[in-house]
Amino acid sequence: MERQTINKNKRVFSAEPTKLSPSEVFTRKYTSHLVPALKKLNMDKNSPQINQLTVKHEVDMALALSAQEFAWSRFLLEKLSSSNNPTTTISSSSNGTRIPERSCKEDEDGEIEEKLRELQKLLPGGEEMNVEEMLIEIGNYIKCLELQTSALKSIVQDTT
Amino acid sequence: MGGESNNEGEMGLNHGHDPSMPLYAKADPYFSSSDWDPVVNGGGFSSSPYPSVVMDNPGMSCFTHYQSGSGYPDMPASLLPFGDCGGGQFLGSEKNGESVGRLMRAGESHDQVSDDGVSPTRKRRQAEAESQRNKKAVEEFQEDPQRGSDQSQKRQKDGQSKETMNKESSQSEEAPKENYIHMRARRGQATNSHSLAERVRREKISERMRLLQELVPGCNKITGKAVMLDEIINYVQSLQQQVEFLSMKLATVNPEINIDMDRIIAKDLLQSRDRNTPTLGLNPFSGFQGTIPNISTTTNPQYNSLPQTALESELQSLYQMGFVSNPSTMSSFSPNNGRLKPEL
Repeated sequence: MERQTINKNKRVFSAEPTKLSPSEVFTRKYTSHLVPALKKLNMDKNSPQINQLTVKHEVDMALALSAQEFAWSRFLLEKLSSSNNPTTTISSSSNGTRIPERSCKEDEDGEIEEKLRELQKLLPGGEEMNVEEMLIEIGNYIKCLELQTSALKSIVQDTT
Repeated sequence: MGGESNNEGEMGLNHGHDPSMPLYAKADPYFSSSDWDPVVNGGGFSSSPYPSVVMDNPGMSCFTHYQSGSGYPDMPASLLPFGDCGGGQFLGSEKNGESVGRLMRAGESHDQVSDDGVSPTRKRRQAEAESQRNKKAVEEFQEDPQRGSDQSQKRQKDGQSKETMNKESSQSEEAPKENYIHMRARRGQATNSHSLAERVRREKISERMRLLQELVPGCNKITGKAVMLDEIINYVQSLQQQVEFLSMKLATVNPEINIDMDRIIAKDLLQSRDRNTPTLGLNPFSGFQGTIPNISTTTNPQYNSLPQTALESELQSLYQMGFVSNPSTMSSFSPNNGRLKPEL
């Protein structure tokens, strides 16, 4: 595969669209959602300062739109679209308050349950899922976050 | 005879595990039937990787197991956090299977029991590793009914009356077993339906955690749910923070983006292509074709209205070519891209 891309003389483009890896697909979807949206933001406001929250909103929205096969993206979309003021739903600062509910009971299991709950909070919509589902979704979420990060990095790098 | 009850008891479990049958048959000389009944209700039949602890190798494998001197004898049930491996079996067998107890090196077994306090973490890790492997086998075993597993869990929880099956014969398990996960409580474990379902659930969770372990970098050496969960939480938080940070940065540089959007897309495609794709893939381009002209009802006019440098116009023409998603143009896109890079 690699050699094909390097050797550009070969016309390696196949007519089959299905040879992309899912991460590829996601990245492209993501950039295709985000970049025009940012552009639109830029153009529409025509103000030098783009609201950070708005950008974050668009970022999250692009994420949700690009990953619609996952449950958490649905929740994320709902959160984003319901609150039109772009509250950062994934604010990491809000995770500081964690009330240990089960500190008295079965210590080890209680700890684990606690952590699972914390994890649920991190995932959009995680609290509405049961634990097993949540663990699966967390895996997807992590993967998409990673891809999102790299896409954002490349976007930022391009503009600086 | 004990053999019969054992065989019957195992019938439900032995759908996929025929090898266990003869083993139980062999086990007859070692265990009396009454001893086996609670055992028979028991837990996962992980055949291969789980050497001795498995129920289906009661006397024989216990014996052989001890002789092989592996670490498994050191796993009393109390140490097994989840997966509830058959360490209890050994304890049980010590109590009940006197003959077996004699066969086993009794002194050693006592030492094992006394070892509990000494190195619980080590044993726990062993146990966990084993329980994970056990789970694998158990899960393979559970393939068919797994879809109905949730149902079965509910059913097991609802069917409290089925507690009768616990101590007596496992025959009553057989009928409802078809849609159930074929879990068995291991010896020494609580065998009411709640615990069974609970155990199944825990094993599933551990399975998922293992998958997550592969996903999160640097977690290969971590054993233990709590630590693993901590790592995952930290990782997710750090990813989210990164996204926030990058979007902040994006906000600051956003005003200058107008020119670079096309380039970003091109670059991203190039990068990803160099990294991964065998083909440029018509898919994204068709996607782009769909999106970029349409996306925007708002952005489309903007594309045209952008202050155009020569590069931009070239880019745009290239994009238009590319987005026609004609294989011929696609192929010509490549050399253009190749040309594009140095220009960029």
